[in-house]
Amino acid sequence: MNETIVLLRNTSSDKNEDTNEFYQRFKDTLNQSNLTKPVSLVRALDLGIYHKGNAIRIYPEDIVYTNITDDDIKRIITTTLKQGKILKDLKITSKVKQVRIVLRNCGRIDPENIEEYKMREGYKGLKNALNGSAKQTIEELQKSKLRGRGGGGFPTWRKWTFAQQQEADQKFVICNADEGDPGAYMDRSLLEGDPHSVLEGIIIAGYAIGASKGLFYIRAEYPLAIKRVNHAIEEAKKQGFLGKNILGSSFSFDVEVRLGAGAFVCGEETALIASLEGKRGTPRPRPPYPSVSGLWGKPTVINNVETLANIPYILTHGGSHYATMGTEDSSGTKVFAVTGKVHHSGLVEVPMGTTLRQIVFDICGGLPIGRQIKAVQTGGPSGGVIPEKYLDTPVEYGTLQKLGSIMGSGGMIVIDDQDCVVDLAKFYLKFCVDESCGKCAPCRLGGYQMLRILEKITQGNASDEDLEKLSSISKAMSRASLCGLGQTAPNPVVSTMKYFLSEYADHIQNHHCAAGVCKSLMNYEIIQENCRRCGVCQRVCPANAITGDRDHGYRIDLTKCTKCGSCYEACKFDAIGRD
Amino acid sequence: MKEKSSRWIKIGMGTCGFGAGAQEVHDCIEKEIKKRKLNVEVKKVGCLGMCSLEPLVEVHMEGIPQVIYGKVTVQIAKQIVNNHLRDKKLVHDHIIYFKEDSA
Repeated sequence: MNETIVLLRNTSSDKNEDTNEFYQRFKDTLNQSNLTKPVSLVRALDLGIYHKGNAIRIYPEDIVYTNITDDDIKRIITTTLKQGKILKDLKITSKVKQVRIVLRNCGRIDPENIEEYKMREGYKGLKNALNGSAKQTIEELQKSKLRGRGGGGFPTWRKWTFAQQQEADQKFVICNADEGDPGAYMDRSLLEGDPHSVLEGIIIAGYAIGASKGLFYIRAEYPLAIKRVNHAIEEAKKQGFLGKNILGSSFSFDVEVRLGAGAFVCGEETALIASLEGKRGTPRPRPPYPSVSGLWGKPTVINNVETLANIPYILTHGGSHYATMGTEDSSGTKVFAVTGKVHHSGLVEVPMGTTLRQIVFDICGGLPIGRQIKAVQTGGPSGGVIPEKYLDTPVEYGTLQKLGSIMGSGGMIVIDDQDCVVDLAKFYLKFCVDESCGKCAPCRLGGYQMLRILEKITQGNASDEDLEKLSSISKAMSRASLCGLGQTAPNPVVSTMKYFLSEYADHIQNHHCAAGVCKSLMNYEIIQENCRRCGVCQRVCPANAITGDRDHGYRIDLTKCTKCGSCYEACKFDAIGRD
Repeated sequence: MKEKSSRWIKIGMGTCGFGAGAQEVHDCIEKEIKKRKLNVEVKKVGCLGMCSLEPLVEVHMEGIPQVIYGKVTVQIAKQIVNNHLRDKKLVHDHIIYFKEDSA
């Protein structure tokens, strides 16, 4: 192709008009410059570059120029487009790249067509595994240093070895697809986009530990994922990847789908097993671990969806190759679901060791224009917040734990200056209180008491003693609770208190919420000096709490005001005060 | 990997895609392709990861670079079929990814 294509975008603005203007200027300059080569200009929606002014990407050379001024346009046309020379002062090269191992097929293949999966090395890992012994499969996994992606980070090969060493007439493999963290949806996308890779992983796991049956435990809220996994199982059966004597070997394996009813605690492995057995989904003390005595008392391996999706890749490309990605402590890649106050929310897969700042700013485009980042919450209700000053920390199991958060299953929520950390902690704690199964007292009672204190703080009725109480209940809960849910439920509170204690103090002592989130602490009023009497606030008020007219000015009736903030957002003259 | 057919259009149809209206976009593209008797394979795929830009439509056509379009509406879907597939011209304001055509 001889034509040069130039993609343009104003990367500092969300408005299409700004890009349009830049496009027009570029086009006019180009028309005046009697260039003989065919060049087509195209406005893009996204260039993968953010907050860097007017930017262009030139193809086929794939050159990126940023912060382009009017003078630069001429230079670009005469130097780069005409003579093919690069302008070094404008050029940038992006360093951070996503690496797609788990998501290698997501969005690339038709998830309901096994042939497309097979064309992309599908079921090659299974063939490799069946050509060797079960022990060799586990050895390959040991070389890969793969750790469980569900949150705990336990080395997968060790889990498998425990189960493999058990003598039993039957063993089970379970895929834990009971993804319940608020804001996390990696597993759903994976099961929807590439169910065969997870299925292949579960079959390989079955072969490695000597199981005859595999189960998918998928939450019922994921109807599309359930449909596609069922379809994948049917297809795999037809092609001989499931059933008796798989691919001519002596190994027989069958897979079924079971639905979870949406209890968060059922993501915990012992509760999950209880739920599968038809009992109440409550955890039991460990040991014995499921790899010794699990489903129906038989040795059972439970792996997360993402862990299983890594396995075909490892068996295809070798464990040592996999271990070259990521860091010493954590090998391979991790998928994150980045949400919250970020330009592009979505799934991101990066090698372990990538920093949070790179994920949030370079890949996801940073925060919406004009907002300041406050912290990143990782690990869902069991995790914690990582404040802005630690954003350059490489993401690994160990480093995140040191900061008081966890890797978790991969939810990542970006919070900005308009988010209140006390309210955030309250939200997560409320989630855990709702989801607590009630079996053990520390979790059932401790969580409730902590929630009451947080409510007092956000309503302005708390005292300094309450902070001490929060710490001591937190400690008791994390030590004495039966399962991971109760042990980690105080984490959001503990970590926000660690990094944002001043914000807690502000709530308690000054009855002030700097982010403007805690409604009970706020009052709205009209600052008469600034008011131009335009009447916008009155029109937007959903509670009809603003009285008055253009001649006499406006007033907020505090008895009617619901503190929704609509007037505050709508006023262009800073005439609404919030305190 | 070599695709079977050199002309295809992939539509992201995970939950995020459906939520953003991928079904309507899919139906529209199929209808328009049929109407214009274009020989292009339409595929349903999972989520590419750029959930905030759904519905995503990836187009591969010889003679024009491979492109992913984001935030595709029914209107834009029609333009993709008419401009990109038929006239081999890129559609403005929706390109998010671009790859040199190898075929």
